[in-house]
Amino acid sequence: MTDSIEQAAPGPLYQTLVGVAAVAVGGVMAFGASAIPSDAGYAGIGPNALPWFVAAVLMLCGAWLVWEARTGGYRSMEPPSGAPRADWLSALWVAGGVVANAALITTIGFVLACTLCFMLAVRGLRRAEGKGHGGARQVLIDAITGLLIAAPVFWLFNKLLALNLPAITAGGWL
Amino acid sequence: MQDLWTHLMGGFATAASGANLMWAFVGCALGTAIGVLPGLGPAVTVAMLLPITAQVDPTASMIFFAGIYYGAMYGGSTTSILLNTPGETGTMVTALEGFKMARHGRAGAALATAAIGSFFAGTIATVLVTLFAPVLADFAVTLGPPEYFCLMLLAFTTVSAVLGQSTLRGMTALFIGLAMGLVGMDQITGQIRYTAGIPEFMDGIETVLVAVGLFAVGETLYVALYEGRSNLTMNTMGRVHMTRQEWKRSIPAWIRGTGLGFPFGVIPAGGTEIPTFLSYATERKLSRHKEEFGTTGAIEGVAGPEAANNAAVTGTLVPLLTLGIPTSVTAAILLSALQNYGIQAGPQLFTTSSGLVWALIASLYIGNVMLLVLNLPLVGLWVKLLRIPRAPLYAGILIFATVGVYGMRQSAFDLYLMLAIGLLGVVMRRFDFPTAPVVVGMILGPLAEAHLRNGVAIGGGHWGVFFERPMSAFLLGVVAIVLLLPRLMKWLGARRARRQAAVAMG
Repeated sequence: MTDSIEQAAPGPLYQTLVGVAAVAVGGVMAFGASAIPSDAGYAGIGPNALPWFVAAVLMLCGAWLVWEARTGGYRSMEPPSGAPRADWLSALWVAGGVVANAALITTIGFVLACTLCFMLAVRGLRRAEGKGHGGARQVLIDAITGLLIAAPVFWLFNKLLALNLPAITAGGWL
Repeated sequence: MQDLWTHLMGGFATAASGANLMWAFVGCALGTAIGVLPGLGPAVTVAMLLPITAQVDPTASMIFFAGIYYGAMYGGSTTSILLNTPGETGTMVTALEGFKMARHGRAGAALATAAIGSFFAGTIATVLVTLFAPVLADFAVTLGPPEYFCLMLLAFTTVSAVLGQSTLRGMTALFIGLAMGLVGMDQITGQIRYTAGIPEFMDGIETVLVAVGLFAVGETLYVALYEGRSNLTMNTMGRVHMTRQEWKRSIPAWIRGTGLGFPFGVIPAGGTEIPTFLSYATERKLSRHKEEFGTTGAIEGVAGPEAANNAAVTGTLVPLLTLGIPTSVTAAILLSALQNYGIQAGPQLFTTSSGLVWALIASLYIGNVMLLVLNLPLVGLWVKLLRIPRAPLYAGILIFATVGVYGMRQSAFDLYLMLAIGLLGVVMRRFDFPTAPVVVGMILGPLAEAHLRNGVAIGGGHWGVFFERPMSAFLLGVVAIVLLLPRLMKWLGARRARRQAAVAMG
């Protein structure tokens, strides 16, 4: 709870960037809208009407956000919770876990891919807490913990609820 | 009336059958657990469990999901009181007074008034749903596309402009959601939009994927990025028990909270934030123990908002079941569960799927009793969940996220997309953008678009149709009031303050 004192909202530069990003999304939406035919039929409003509207409003909102950011920052903003600085490396471990999972799930099966995802993510989260990685022993503990979560989940969904999660073996138990 | 009774009894017969009772119990227990655990809400949990709709019959799964929705509200208050980290927006106010009470050794009384108040409000609200939902459904049959469009406009307005800190950021979030809803095939003409040649986008972006990405993955990334060093101190619990005096102070607060909460849940204005804050303000004003507010913790400040929260949550089932309009993120996910079964939520639901609806309503009565038992004598059990270390808890959430997202259509592409939306969630949280408008926008967007275009078609290509039909004109008026009233009040307040300052100066 000591963090509450050093809480700080992200600076005007970052706020501007978020506004610019909103304008960019609006721009992409507008580009996409220009490719949609306006064939309205009886309705008088074609499939391209809402896309144009959404694109326009997003650009408007983005521009307004930029204006707010340049004139004293976003209005009535709650300072976000947590530390003022981001711990990118720890988050990279977590994101790496999700990416590894996505890349490997069809080849090594749900259970092993999820165990790997768990191991990478838990390591990142522990790193964020400022704890050491715990060496080979901790890696083994994480692997077993991950397996103990992933395998029952897999059996529950695949065997009991007939969901189609990929398995590595033909029998489908792993 | 006779008819209603027959339907309700039929519902009880279905809901009290062995298997359905089991689903209700598992749902309530799971809901309480995820409500207690930080980082997981009912919306994400139901989203992650949506794949079961492929196997379990609709009635059982709706009973199960409703149990989770309800249970999370009970469990959430436990965390608010003991940890001061509200799991749900609706329990934010509970944390204000509840945590203070716990600090001063009255956690037991706070937990008791929260659980009994939730039971009281939940049950009264369920009675109101039983009485009013069929009437509203009869009325809703007469509504056409223009009225539906206006209702959705109202939902958009309140969820983005009224809730949350800033209208601008709420609007931005809403339109991001609308943009996501545009991806895929147009419902009316079959025109393909915004697929960028990626075949996975043809069917559109799934609501589940966005909810899991924003809330589960986003939350995990946020914890790794910013919250690693935040320490939380837990209050000790004590005996769950209320004195005579505390009962006397709680009961009127429960009644007022229920009265405030239910109407806000029913109108498509979304959210439990407004009624819980209103209830808190009311209790603070009416209390004979004003000195306890904000200092040692006042029991009315827990009892009222908790009741308001549960009444509002139950109330959201009315627009969901009778109009097919979700006003909270969880209701939006429940709507996609119905859509998975090919069931059209709306006024016809009471005739076409009357068995399901009444079993669901009956299960709410049963669920409330189960939750009272689960949360009062057994609260100590749930508190043990708070001892799970954060790192494996959040890493484990990712495994369940994979089940929910990958299980939908077995596509690894969806997992990458989930990560991208998780990053969006981190940015939104860091810059104080509300996330609920994204989910509501993306699920209601395509429906609203279809109603808009059909509405204009009814009017022979003229927009005037929205002003000429009395009901739709009335709803547009409500939208205008909702948008303008808070600004007008603020402006008037500011003017009065300036005048007073001028008088004081002069």
